[in-house]
Amino acid sequence: MIAARHLSRRFGDRTAVEDVTFDVKAGEIFGLLGPNGAGKTTTLRMIAGLIAPTSGDASVAGVPLTSRTIDRVRQHVGFLTEAPGLWERLSVRMNLLTYARLHQVTDPAAAVTSALERFGLADRADSMAVELSKGMKQRVALARTLLHNPPVVLLDEPTSGLDPHSARIVRDMVLGLRQQGHAIIISTHNLDEAERVADRVGVLRRRFLAVATPGELRHRLFGTRVRITLTEDAAPFAGVAAAAGATDIKVAGRDMLTFAIEDVDAGTPAVVRALVLAGASILSVRNDDRPLEEVYLALVEDDSPGELAS
Amino acid sequence: MIVPARILALLRKEIAELARNRAALLPVVFVALITTALPFFIAVATPRISGHPLSHDADLVHALTKVSGELPGIDRLSAEAAVQAFIFSRFLVMTLLVPVTGAITFAGHSLIGEKIGKSLEPLLATPITTTELLLAKVAGAMIPSLAIMMCTTIVYMIGVAALAEPGVLRALLSLKTALLVLGLGPITSCLALQVGVLVSARVNDPRTAQQFGALFILPLTGLFMAQMSGVFVLTVSTGLLVFGGLFGAWILLLFIGVKLFRREAILTRWK
Repeated sequence: MIAARHLSRRFGDRTAVEDVTFDVKAGEIFGLLGPNGAGKTTTLRMIAGLIAPTSGDASVAGVPLTSRTIDRVRQHVGFLTEAPGLWERLSVRMNLLTYARLHQVTDPAAAVTSALERFGLADRADSMAVELSKGMKQRVALARTLLHNPPVVLLDEPTSGLDPHSARIVRDMVLGLRQQGHAIIISTHNLDEAERVADRVGVLRRRFLAVATPGELRHRLFGTRVRITLTEDAAPFAGVAAAAGATDIKVAGRDMLTFAIEDVDAGTPAVVRALVLAGASILSVRNDDRPLEEVYLALVEDDSPGELAS
Repeated sequence: MIVPARILALLRKEIAELARNRAALLPVVFVALITTALPFFIAVATPRISGHPLSHDADLVHALTKVSGELPGIDRLSAEAAVQAFIFSRFLVMTLLVPVTGAITFAGHSLIGEKIGKSLEPLLATPITTTELLLAKVAGAMIPSLAIMMCTTIVYMIGVAALAEPGVLRALLSLKTALLVLGLGPITSCLALQVGVLVSARVNDPRTAQQFGALFILPLTGLFMAQMSGVFVLTVSTGLLVFGGLFGAWILLLFIGVKLFRREAILTRWK
């Protein structure tokens, strides 16, 4: 649905985005991660047909992104900008109605009524935008983004500044969009959010430092770790685990063993079996995933593992 | 390809926004009141208060003789009515200030207002083209400005009928008046708006756009002074010529505006 090939964008002497390549399929959420000024918004704007790439190619919903087709590309894209950007003096309904008309939706009034109900805004339809809370404004902006049912949805920091409840509502809506088959790119600083919603993430710092699923990134950077919780003191069993193939074994707390293992599916049962045979009482076995934040920081602070990009 | 439905969509939004922001109309209404009241003060109130009829003023009578041919039936009016007709016809030019003020007020905010309100980026992300955007912005400011100008002209004519000497209204109802109100008014407004919108697309500050738009007051004031002194007489033929010139200038400005309107620069450089 979205295909970007070697996209670059320069502003004068400054290169904002360099040689960015990625694909997003229908029904997929692609998370765009990166520090401030990494080029996330520039990338989204290029895909949205708002600014042209200096070099490289892209196609959106099958339409190649060129100066001639840029207006047509925008018909296929819903772009949630970083700020809701509502017309504050107009009602929620009028805000949405104007966008439905701009997108030449067949029945604008019906589309707006449907969007109001879908996003839980029906009771605020006649409120002025200025009267809404930030969370409500973001919901209106999201409704506006989807009025014309675009196959491609671009979300620039959709939960930035929202309270946890509002952020969760927005996140659930984004997940709902994936189920409906939209191709979604979500730019975010919120790594927890990226982990929850994104199928794959791209860590951007002018160029892609890595593109993969959060799990793959973890595995590439830190390997796979397993955490076993016992009902007793774990330290005496560290040697048993090592003998069964575990490496980099650590005792966490008093009753917990964490270790790395090459093949988690084959190796973990062997370690568990060895521990049980050695008399350990096991309470739980689970992956000891590093938070995506650690993965992100390792990539961004190092800024050298370009070979990780896939 | 221009899609009228998109222009209309944005135009409806512009009008709805203006209706919610009546304070923005105040400068226009204020100018309308001044330009309407001033000739009545000069031509009707002052002679009555001072006891000196206008027809006793040698300068006014001299200026009148230069333009008497352009006011229909003026030779059949009394001396006082003829001078009144002269003054009221000259001040009609000042009504052009109404749409120009509207242009200055509204156009200065048009694109900068969207940028400040952070609503420009989502708007530019729709399929609307630059030409459609600029046309909608100009029309959105021009329609209310012209509506106020039309109301002002109607009030002006009713005032003349009610307060001026008999026959003065008839002298004002001419092809030239129609050209002024229906032709030169809208096109001057359109031009001032186009300049305002154009400048608005290139600067960060609404005041800069307003200052550029305000430049239109100078030629209008000059035209008014030239008319009062009889140096320049705005006849139907000169009026049509001016209209044609202004229309051409507007088309040119629209073209330049589309060329100069750079979405990228607006999105990436405006802070």
